[in-house]
Amino acid sequence: MVESPLAITSSDITKLILRVAMRDRVAFDSLYQQTSAKLFGVCLRVLKNQSEAEDALQEVFIKIWDKADRFAASDLSPISWLVAVARNQAIDRIRERRQPSVDMDSALNVIDPRPDPESLAAANHERRRIQICLEELEKDRAEAVRSAYLDGESYDELANRYGVPLNTMRTWLRRSLLKLRECLER
Amino acid sequence: MTSADKHDMGNGDEMIAAEYVLGVLSADERQSASSRIDRDPAFAQLVDLWEQRLSPLADAYQQVEVPHSVKEALNRRLFSKAELSNKSGFWSSLTFWRSLTAALAAALVVYIAVPHFNLEKSAPPGLVASLAADGSNVRYLVLFDGTHGKVRLSHISGDRPAERDFELWLIKNNNAPISIGIVPVGKVVSLKLSSDLKQKLSSGETFAISLEPVGGSPTGQPTGPIVAAGELKNI
Repeated sequence: MVESPLAITSSDITKLILRVAMRDRVAFDSLYQQTSAKLFGVCLRVLKNQSEAEDALQEVFIKIWDKADRFAASDLSPISWLVAVARNQAIDRIRERRQPSVDMDSALNVIDPRPDPESLAAANHERRRIQICLEELEKDRAEAVRSAYLDGESYDELANRYGVPLNTMRTWLRRSLLKLRECLER
Repeated sequence: MTSADKHDMGNGDEMIAAEYVLGVLSADERQSASSRIDRDPAFAQLVDLWEQRLSPLADAYQQVEVPHSVKEALNRRLFSKAELSNKSGFWSSLTFWRSLTAALAAALVVYIAVPHFNLEKSAPPGLVASLAADGSNVRYLVLFDGTHGKVRLSHISGDRPAERDFELWLIKNNNAPISIGIVPVGKVVSLKLSSDLKQKLSSGETFAISLEPVGGSPTGQPTGPIVAAGELKNI
């Protein structure tokens, strides 16, 4: 069983990562218990294959154990840092693989996402802002940004899916990123 | 398209950082971006900024239950070897993290006790200062390890100009700065303190880094601009 996501707050996760950097195994187990379902969701969405996602998740937690002190040098919130570790691991893995595999049986185990009210409140503003900014983009470009981020699709794959030349896709996304940045900083 | 974004749309670092975070780069490009993150703090900061900007999108990732076998396999992979090899880094990790806690104190005012541990119990005496200054991108995290009488500096960002040195100073109240020494080049470096200086360190005083000629200030007082400074706090 995965513990209810209601129980965890951002400052709890910071403290757990802190203790992991101090080589505290109890903290590591607790961090795993609190965050592995979310990070597994990341791996699964990108890799779309249960056993690859399980392998990737192990790599993710090995990185977290080894590099917990790197979190200090970044200004990221603890959950953003953890998600970045997981996304990078999964995306690196899928880039190494030639053919994306599809095995969505794994989607059956999706847990009802119930983030805690505190982090919801904190995240709400940011989330609304990025939604508003994405809406300022043309619809298919906003879609492409979202699937690049969430599914880890490459320029190549996106160009194929949208039936446009690679360079066009690159220009779309670069312009979209710059517009997003401009909108978020407005 | 404005001329500003035409300019930005080349292969500038800003765009590489954005594309790295978005996840669209090829394996080779990702590899090269990732190794730049490790050795180029300015680039790493651009990447962090993009991680921050795009992070609300991650809310769409659903939580998926992980089979028990995964944690068991992870424990086997991690702890059969880690237990043998990770004895040395304890103090550095501890201080680093406690310093982080101090740096984050404002954000984490409410201490929520996590069951099973008590951080204070085993903590050696120490002081921490986060050094930064307006108009400078130089940032250091400075830790005073009371047990060993050492000052450890973690370089976070900002390059030192060629043919110049960074010098670390202790400023007590409004007294003249006391030189602690030239900051060695490197990610994590340390300076040994004289026992006289050790006595002088306490919470509330200021550490500052000035830009000096190679070999340090010729006058015994700072001669160049202060590139980073911060107050010492107990940890």
